[in-house]
Amino acid sequence: MSVPLLELDAVGKTYTRGGLFARERIVAARDVRFALADGAREVFTIIGESGSGKTTIAKMILALERPSTGQVRFRGRDLTTLRSRADRHAFIGAVQPIFQNPFEAFNPLKRLERYLLTTCRRFTDARDEAGAMRAVDTALRQVGLSLAEIRGRHPHELSGGQLQRVAIARALISKPALIVADEPVSMVDASLRASIVGLFRRLTAELGLSIVYITHDLATAYAISDRILIMRKGEMAEAGDAKTVLAEPKHPYSRQLRDAVLQPLEPGQRPAFGR
Amino acid sequence: MSADRAAALAGPAGDTVLRVRDLRAWYRASQFGIRREVKAVDGVSLTIRRDEIYGLAGESSCGKSTLIKTIAGVLRPPLEIIDGEIAFSFAPGTAGLHRLPADAARRVRWRHLSYIMQGSMSVLNPLRRVRASLRDFAFHHMGLPAAAFEAAVVAHLARVQLDGSVLRAFPHELSGGMRQRVAIALATICRPDFVIADEPTTALDVVVQKDVLGMLRAIQREMASSVLFVTHDMGVHAHLTDRLGIMYAGRLVEEGRTADIFARPRHPYTRHLIRSLPRIGDTELRQGLDGAPPNLADPPSGCRFHPRCALATARCRVEAPPMEMPAEDHRVACFEADRSGGSA
Repeated sequence: MSVPLLELDAVGKTYTRGGLFARERIVAARDVRFALADGAREVFTIIGESGSGKTTIAKMILALERPSTGQVRFRGRDLTTLRSRADRHAFIGAVQPIFQNPFEAFNPLKRLERYLLTTCRRFTDARDEAGAMRAVDTALRQVGLSLAEIRGRHPHELSGGQLQRVAIARALISKPALIVADEPVSMVDASLRASIVGLFRRLTAELGLSIVYITHDLATAYAISDRILIMRKGEMAEAGDAKTVLAEPKHPYSRQLRDAVLQPLEPGQRPAFGR
Repeated sequence: MSADRAAALAGPAGDTVLRVRDLRAWYRASQFGIRREVKAVDGVSLTIRRDEIYGLAGESSCGKSTLIKTIAGVLRPPLEIIDGEIAFSFAPGTAGLHRLPADAARRVRWRHLSYIMQGSMSVLNPLRRVRASLRDFAFHHMGLPAAAFEAAVVAHLARVQLDGSVLRAFPHELSGGMRQRVAIALATICRPDFVIADEPTTALDVVVQKDVLGMLRAIQREMASSVLFVTHDMGVHAHLTDRLGIMYAGRLVEEGRTADIFARPRHPYTRHLIRSLPRIGDTELRQGLDGAPPNLADPPSGCRFHPRCALATARCRVEAPPMEMPAEDHRVACFEADRSGGSA
């Protein structure tokens, strides 16, 4: 069997809080295991309530946190062994994050293309301005924008949906093999979510990358995910094929989660909180 | 209340709690001699009745938050009311709360009108325990002796399924759902006539959201109060609100009973909002709306939705459609409302 792209092997994370006398241990993740095959072009979704350990897992995959137990391996290599500058640089290029709030991810005082050009200079071989511009334009076109549209604009001049697209374009510049998207649409209007999430589906097919999609939105998860992992209180509650898990959830928490989603009523259905 | 008495008060009559008429609230700034006006609320009329949850929907930056700030009377420059009326059943005058003398406004706030905000963390003072925050907000208004006040607080917290132990906690020691329930308890403890809820559950996950919405409805029903509930999530509106107003670019474009709006949306923008919601079971993703949201400093001419509307005609580009009432209790501002009729 070939080496998986990403592998979490019995990963756990414990935070300690408090001083010497009132120390408290908080288990954020316990015995999490899953793997993404290389070249699978997969959308792997992690779903769960706040405090279920979703973001902790994302941080461990991005090597921003070290697991307390177990190992996170990217292409077979334990992330804690990434010590040299060159290793870290290569890893950052291959695994890119997208965060929840694009307005916090971008510096409000900088023009957007400065960001993209800086990323371009660090992670591609485009050394001159024209080459970098072309690479930026290509990345923006992959998300349905273009350099001409965003050039000279500051983050506040774009809507949340557009800015999140720019964040996705920025992540694509280094041609990553894996994108970790932590709640990428929870700050975006419900009516725009579908088009952003649909982009993930398209990118996996067109660019051959895999995506770890972290969310609490079951409807978009159902539409784009290949596999799904439902987390509860730091532990894996249920995992498997997305359509099967969401159509027939087995774990009581998965059922509760699915039943709590509020959607427009079907004919004859009564509102949950009507009079 | 008799009919003449209601008329004599000059406020909204009978079962109306709030009446907003032709309200215009703009942000006006002048910097280096350049004047800039952002017409965030531009000609909104609506009424909110006693004992109902009125929903307000629309995308970010459509003016929802400006409208509720204006209604709550928390205007800070550069936001100002250009013209229009805001009349409450429980306060004199039609100029809005910010025009009342300070002591009159203080009597109305929290006793009659209260507020639930999105980030409950920013409402509760992080350095004070929950008990102290509740005391700050409500002790004066309730007019009870300390022991009776404490008992009333504990009884009220039970309505949002919190026990008295949260009174000793600091806000950061509570989960997001618990904090939001504390915020609801805080906003409803004085049994106000009117509660403004601004995206109160957007930051919560779905399971907690469902509980919190259920509690909000139960309290509203018990106290027969009115709630103005603002969120962009149409799924929440479908299950919670009695009537629904849809806002686009500073104007109300459609209003009606929630069930009617979902069954037969008449404005193309409303249809889009309903249709674009992803649903479990969809394998095909729904299309988002093309084009950028309008710039309220320089809104499109005519109907403000026309640049993004598939049904737009030459008339829509020059003339702003008035609010028409095509069916009982259903208003819509669209020349092509008949063409866009039918289910979403």
